[in-house]
Amino acid sequence: MTQDSRFTFVKVDESASEHIAAPQYSYWKSVFRRFFSSKVAIFMLVLIIVIILMAIIHPMISGYDNLNMENINDPTSRFLRPSLEHLFGTDSVGRDQFNAVWSGTRTSLFASFAATAVTTIIGVIVGMFWGFSKRLDVIMIEIYNVIANIPYTLVCMLIMYTFGAGLVQLIFAMSCTTWISTAYFIRVQVMIIRDRDYNLASRCLGTPMSKMITHNILPYLISVIMTSISRDVPSFISSEVFLSYLGVGLGQSYASLGRLVQDAVKYIQSAPYLLIFPLVVAASISVSLYIVGQTLADASDPRTHMI
Amino acid sequence: MVSTNNEKEVLLSVKHLEVTFYNKKRRFRAVKNANFDIYKGETFALVGESGSGKTTIGRSIIRLNHTSDGDILYKGKKINGKLSKEDEKEVVRNIQMIFQDPAASLNERATIDYCVSEGLYNFHLYESEEDRLQKVDQALESVGLLPEHKSRYPHEFSGGQRQRIGIARAMVMEPELIIADEPISALDVSIRAQVLNLMNKFKEERGLTYLFIAHDLSVVRYFSDRIAVIHKGRIVELAPTEELFAFPLHPYTLSLLQAVPMPDPRIEKSKELVIYDESKRDLSGEKPILQEIRPGHFVFANDREMKEYREKLQEMIEFKKEHPNA
Repeated sequence: MTQDSRFTFVKVDESASEHIAAPQYSYWKSVFRRFFSSKVAIFMLVLIIVIILMAIIHPMISGYDNLNMENINDPTSRFLRPSLEHLFGTDSVGRDQFNAVWSGTRTSLFASFAATAVTTIIGVIVGMFWGFSKRLDVIMIEIYNVIANIPYTLVCMLIMYTFGAGLVQLIFAMSCTTWISTAYFIRVQVMIIRDRDYNLASRCLGTPMSKMITHNILPYLISVIMTSISRDVPSFISSEVFLSYLGVGLGQSYASLGRLVQDAVKYIQSAPYLLIFPLVVAASISVSLYIVGQTLADASDPRTHMI
Repeated sequence: MVSTNNEKEVLLSVKHLEVTFYNKKRRFRAVKNANFDIYKGETFALVGESGSGKTTIGRSIIRLNHTSDGDILYKGKKINGKLSKEDEKEVVRNIQMIFQDPAASLNERATIDYCVSEGLYNFHLYESEEDRLQKVDQALESVGLLPEHKSRYPHEFSGGQRQRIGIARAMVMEPELIIADEPISALDVSIRAQVLNLMNKFKEERGLTYLFIAHDLSVVRYFSDRIAVIHKGRIVELAPTEELFAFPLHPYTLSLLQAVPMPDPRIEKSKELVIYDESKRDLSGEKPILQEIRPGHFVFANDREMKEYREKLQEMIEFKKEHPNA
């Protein structure tokens, strides 16, 4: 009982008790591991990549020109049903709808990505300072109240009427007021974490505000910004579709998903396939971007990394 | 422990400090006319219940809270209110803070390397990258952590380890005064002593001065040289530690001391708790002020109360003489 040969005395090793056995933690590795653990997200990611590649590559091969109506006087090439030759059929002036859809997707995607980039960059920068400065907050909240109360569609229509139809004008119209909502969203998030202990600690260590923003606040907002982006891209695509449908979108020279829908809606009974294909592509972009964005937003929150 | 304070150098001096918080029109005076000196090399404790304003005083010294009146003098130089950039840098370098909650006070998205060297970066306190890494290694080793922890993130550490990282972060700046805002109240009982001993070690090695903010009197007795008891934003009693524990005069101090649990369950059970209630006190007479009743022992009282306290003090001293072991 007194002496068990199976047990021996060991000395306490102080440094061994401080050792962390877990493997090295890397933020971005954990983000990707988390993201790729979702099968739906992988499927949606593949879908959106295919759509983007098609939108970039296909118009280069087909050389689709929206103003080219060489078959307009040939009644046999109008309103052809989808076939192997014309995968999505042909429209009222004999243009191939398959080519038109991808050319339109390219325009719509470009417009919405550009508008999202403008909105996010301006929104995040303004939101940071807005959340930090109490003096700026007093002014900005009034500006926000004014701008947020003007109907978005009205602003877009007014700008498009004033500056005329065109891609740059469309991007400007879509992003000229939406950045303030993003800024407001960021402002609230900044205010939540601004006075946390670790930020007070940084202030005690003499960290300047610019460094606080890049090192203490922005890393915490990655998932929030991801959420904002994944909401903005689909909403700009539908805005473009909606504005083009109203007739204030892009000019004749561009094919866009909105334009295609607007043209096809007249033939909804005689040639429904003209409407269905652009809508399916638009919906696929919206849904897949939203799901990919949300999954990425969840994955970029380190609280999910432990599980 | 009772020392003659007159010979010591005053490091920090708080004079008629008032801190007021505003919420629209409503006013809340968190600190009312606080006066005290902290001598170089001592540990000065601020003790009081939650919401008594002890943290507010600490945060005003480190310039996180605005003061509405009074002066805070560091080595005779005013450090509250508007300061020039250079003066502010001086204050930040020389006064550092240890926070209460080790889980909240570290940047979760930064490595330990960045957390510890944040102050070094801000003041460029290193000659080269190697020098900086060496300083970080030293700081980590001095708090009992391993240099290999540099690449880790705060959430991988236990509460005690995180608090030690917080201490290393403050120590790497080589400050003169450290404000420790309840540094052990969020920690497990088993590692409290570890952190306190670490703080004591730094005090002996580097001649640091601490402003120790706490509500736990048993810890304060072990750790500090002088104690100020604060109640509702007002310092009610200030005395060297042993003096305060031997001759508590103000009724609030008395009730605080009473609240310390006794290790003997029989005494603890039969102990009658005195709850301090200001409304039941006789507050007649002129306005009380902080007065010196014995050398180094101040109590918040007016002349009538001073007389009562003097009698009480005399009784206690006599009692101590008759029963030296009581």
